[in-house]
Amino acid sequence: MAFVAVAAPVAVTGRANTLQSKVEDLAVGSRSHAGVIVGHVILVALALFSVFPVYWMFATALRAPGDALDQTLLPWPLSFENFAYVWNTVPIGSMLVNTFVMSLILAAVQLFIAILAAYGFAVWDFVGSKFLMFLFIGSWLVPFQVTMIPNYLLVSQMGLLGTVGGVIVPQLAGAFAVLLMVQHMRAFPRELLEAAQLDGRSSWSTLWTVVVPNMKPALAALGIMGFISAWNEYLWPALIMRQGDALIQVGVRSFLSAEGNNWGATMAAAGLACVPVLLIYVFLQRYVVDAFVRSGLK
Amino acid sequence: MFVTVAAPSGAVAGTADPTPRRRRIRPARLVPYLYVLPGIAFLLLWTYSPLVQTFGLSFYDWNLLPTSPKTFVGLDNYVEVAQLPELHTAIVNTVIYVAAFLVFSLVLPIAIAMLARQVRGRMRTFYQALIFVPFLVTPVATSAVWRWLFAEQGAIATILAGAGIDMPNVFRDADLAIWAVVVIVGWQMLGFGVLVVAAGFAGISPEYGQAASLDGAGTGTITRRITLPLLSPTIVFLALMTILLAAQWTYPIIDLLTQGGPTNSTTNIYYLLYQFGFQNFDTGISSAAGVIFFLGFGVIALVFLELQDRLSFYDN
Repeated sequence: MAFVAVAAPVAVTGRANTLQSKVEDLAVGSRSHAGVIVGHVILVALALFSVFPVYWMFATALRAPGDALDQTLLPWPLSFENFAYVWNTVPIGSMLVNTFVMSLILAAVQLFIAILAAYGFAVWDFVGSKFLMFLFIGSWLVPFQVTMIPNYLLVSQMGLLGTVGGVIVPQLAGAFAVLLMVQHMRAFPRELLEAAQLDGRSSWSTLWTVVVPNMKPALAALGIMGFISAWNEYLWPALIMRQGDALIQVGVRSFLSAEGNNWGATMAAAGLACVPVLLIYVFLQRYVVDAFVRSGLK
Repeated sequence: MFVTVAAPSGAVAGTADPTPRRRRIRPARLVPYLYVLPGIAFLLLWTYSPLVQTFGLSFYDWNLLPTSPKTFVGLDNYVEVAQLPELHTAIVNTVIYVAAFLVFSLVLPIAIAMLARQVRGRMRTFYQALIFVPFLVTPVATSAVWRWLFAEQGAIATILAGAGIDMPNVFRDADLAIWAVVVIVGWQMLGFGVLVVAAGFAGISPEYGQAASLDGAGTGTITRRITLPLLSPTIVFLALMTILLAAQWTYPIIDLLTQGGPTNSTTNIYYLLYQFGFQNFDTGISSAAGVIFFLGFGVIALVFLELQDRLSFYDN
């Protein structure tokens, strides 16, 4: 399986401990001053390349509307007029709330379904389990674009075209969440399961009182990943909503095409569309990086 | 109930409970299916059944309107789609995208991870945190900010003007537009690649290099003969992911910035499916092309999984 290959969550956040660092030094040739400096130069350049566009987006948004074309590095004097303009022109507040609730629902349901399925796969060996597991793995090879016409027709038959519900339903179960969850569950100590069984607990109560409470970090990482993926999903909301101001992707897209080269306002709207995910990243960085890098999937 | 879990627990259950096994196993056998059921149901409803339907639609002529009839045309859609110049352009562009992203998500990350591996501790965590940011920026914002950076009065034009270079309108230039899309999506994927490769490196036990070093192997030899082979699972994984997903990564940016143009110069295979299906309302052509891409990528994935088994040097 392709995505099992990426290992070592420990190092994802760069928390290699010093002992390992020392051994590594021996392995790759000792740590030279020149090597360290080269490393810093490269990483600084890369970090600037990565962050500059995001910085520039907020910098442009924070200039006074008359200064929008300024190319000075610091936006000064600061002004919130662009944000006020966006706020008064489109219902950006309700777009943010709607998209937030939608992403929360999707993350929660995906997590719930993944917990159940992974528990079934990891704890029991049952007839057909290999085949059913293969269905989850194989779905990795079915690009959404190949199935989008039948999906669209089904949503249309359900009468959900143009609604947030129509955006939600096809995404309720995430195969990747299931696969990642199976990995975590298989690593769960058997002894605890057996002890719970000796206590006379049913499998259902074992799941919620023994397994789930002991997997909080993994669940948090998966939940956050589900939320961010739902927030950043573009294709399906664009197809189902077409226009309208209900969801941030579609609403901001309309705003961008209406405002054209009004750079201050477009950057303010674009910035607002990223703020929730960036805030999650600031506060929960370790979970975010762990989840995406371990899964290797968006 | 864990009666059927595994040998040891079965034995435990046997001693703990005197009821005949047969009667207890039957309900337990159903239990795992119940847990798996919701996930499987959704998967069948939204992935596999639509896949079968796409396959079916590829043999019909239809315009997506429920009221208009479907006409069976056999393999005509496949014949037609194979001759479409748009399809050839889209495939060529997709190959360009894949090749370019192999650089952004694989080659550059490996080079960067190697050159930067002597930076450790807090600073490294800090850099990695910044490098990962573009991956999280939502597509509408990504396209908006890059349109601004590439604009006539934008930052890049200003810098180039300082160097005496006149920047054309990149998104209207049939030769440049595809490279603009590559830069934008490459910007998003680079940090992701760097972190995945760094994780791969961290998973390699340093003892091998250490031993080779004691035997007199130089840094270059260790890299070539030990580090890269041990990194091969990560490399194969990133390469496969790039090939399978490059067209998906570029989709939102294409839709938001170029709509496949100018003159189809930035379109890719998945954007083409969208245009066939939802702009031309030709479900037959879209489905036939979709089936071809699905099978093509399926073969590529199988080849890669085989490669991974053969080439990977697992570190036990």
